[in-house]
Amino acid sequence: MALYWFVVLPLMIALVSYLSNSQRTKVTVLFIQVAFFVLSIINFIDVRTNGTKLEVIGGYDIGVGITLKADLFSSVMVSLTIFLFSCMLLYNYKKSYVNHLFLFLFIALQGLISGIFLSNDLFNIYVMIEVSTIVVTILIVFKKDSKSIYDGIVYLFTNLASMTLFLFGIGYIYKIFGTTDLTLLSERLPLVENPRTLILPFVLMITAVDLKSAIMPLFSWLPKAHGTASAPSIISAILSGLYVKGGVYLFIRITNLFQPVFDEMLIFMIFGFMTAVIGWIFALSQTDIKLILAYSTVSQIGVIVFGLSLNSTYGYWGAIYHILNHAIFKSTLFLTAGIIVDEYHTRDIREIRGIFKRMPYVSIASIFAIFGITGAPLFNGNFSKNLIHEGMSDSLLFELAFFIINVGTILIFIKYAQMLRGDSKEHFHIGWNQKFVILLLAATCFLGGILGPIIMSVMFDFEVYVSASSYLSKLFIYLFTLLVGILFYKYVYLQMRLFTKIRELELTFNQVIMAIVIFFTGFLSMMVYQFG
Amino acid sequence: MTSGFLDGSIIAIALFGIGIYGLLARRNIIKTVMSFGIIQAALILFFLNINYDAAAEPPIGDAALMTDPFPQALMITAIVIGVAVTAVGLTMFISLYHHYGSTNWSKIVRMRKEEN
Repeated sequence: MALYWFVVLPLMIALVSYLSNSQRTKVTVLFIQVAFFVLSIINFIDVRTNGTKLEVIGGYDIGVGITLKADLFSSVMVSLTIFLFSCMLLYNYKKSYVNHLFLFLFIALQGLISGIFLSNDLFNIYVMIEVSTIVVTILIVFKKDSKSIYDGIVYLFTNLASMTLFLFGIGYIYKIFGTTDLTLLSERLPLVENPRTLILPFVLMITAVDLKSAIMPLFSWLPKAHGTASAPSIISAILSGLYVKGGVYLFIRITNLFQPVFDEMLIFMIFGFMTAVIGWIFALSQTDIKLILAYSTVSQIGVIVFGLSLNSTYGYWGAIYHILNHAIFKSTLFLTAGIIVDEYHTRDIREIRGIFKRMPYVSIASIFAIFGITGAPLFNGNFSKNLIHEGMSDSLLFELAFFIINVGTILIFIKYAQMLRGDSKEHFHIGWNQKFVILLLAATCFLGGILGPIIMSVMFDFEVYVSASSYLSKLFIYLFTLLVGILFYKYVYLQMRLFTKIRELELTFNQVIMAIVIFFTGFLSMMVYQFG
Repeated sequence: MTSGFLDGSIIAIALFGIGIYGLLARRNIIKTVMSFGIIQAALILFFLNINYDAAAEPPIGDAALMTDPFPQALMITAIVIGVAVTAVGLTMFISLYHHYGSTNWSKIVRMRKEEN
């Protein structure tokens, strides 16, 4: 199947489902989604056996027409997109607010996200991101709550501001190279004699991509958008699990593109570390369960960027696998959090107790996801974090940094898991579709852990051998981290006033733009100093 | 797009700077939307100035020196996106204004804190 169908078909399904507008369309759409998922798997097998696919729409030459490219990573991401969207559609099958407009926007978003992963042309990527930003904004404010409208407008404007920088960068790229096609660019880039000419487009694009993937100073829009009070929980799950990965994907593409000229791995590693640490500090200070999860996404993005910048194959593939894992466990957590908020009518973590008694299935799924995200042995987070750990080449400084990040993640989820404790008299009934989806995702967390080496070799052709002794040592490291986390939580965290103060921090729109400008000028002057 | 110091790209960069200043320093949401308009104009000017030659003709039929159609094609798309974005931004602003009765970013943040 031609690659453009992955972008066009969802848009067509969206349009037809918008026009037909009946309960039966939901069932039809679900069946089409399953077939579509199978097609994406076939596409992946094709890419895996025959190598990277490059396709020029309209049959023009490369450089004239728009190119789509499917390599192993992007075809896996497309399959993941379709899988998660199908799960979400099934999950929300019975919800009343899923009308024809919601369905239209939601399915269109699937095509746009696939488009971001498949595009091989910078301007095309810009268009996909811009349109999906608008769609996401409308989905965030879909329940028309005034609070979420503020969140939506800040999300829209900050992302637009960053994308203007991206477009400006594309302008410079076109001025220098005469093309915006990534394949041609990577051929022509080593020919550049003076790297100074490339500093400005590189910094412009990196600033935009940093905001899109919520790296350190530019993450303040993310909790607003992902944790907003009234956004449907499936939207939060898709945004946090998948959409922010579009930014990380672009980050990988652009740093790889400029790799022959600028090698800024060390800077990005520091950014990744800072993002992870600041993410968990903010997450610990929140009391709203959706905001805790949203800030923990920031922290996990930091882990991914940290792994990508380690400059080793193990770290790189570990980070890639962590992208997939994070999509699974974070969407599980957001879905279960949505059920919990609906049942308890509050989002304050201090008032929710006794979930394990009240809704056992939901808590089992949550526990699996928590095991995944904290990197408990046998779960998927463990495998990807071990790979990142493997990539550090026994540097004590890196190990310490990684340990701090892991303690933070464990602390967040010790706090989060307090909800499970306690007693409850009532019993909650969960619909079969919701039960099926959250248990499927929870099972994927587990399978992704025990089948990790097989999945890595099947998906990415990357062989990993896990010896029993290293496994045992990793188990001890996990238990030690857990112990440190529990002790810190009990004796330090609960006494600290600092976290209450951090909770009040909120940047206004102007301050977010200020952060973008400071980041841009700082990075620019660093690059000019380095290459001047 | 005259030759010399003040060519199109310099003006475009200056306009871009003005737009960013507007986003940075103006607290009025309407002015934020206007700043986005200025930035879009700057970007369109910047792209059209790439490979610009006053003697070039449109790429239709046989022309000795043709203009580069690529930036123009990109900018048509960018204009369409710009219109859509402005429309969505203004629509959301109106419903925000109905609720808070203010066009000021920091006043709205303060009101939101009082709501909690």
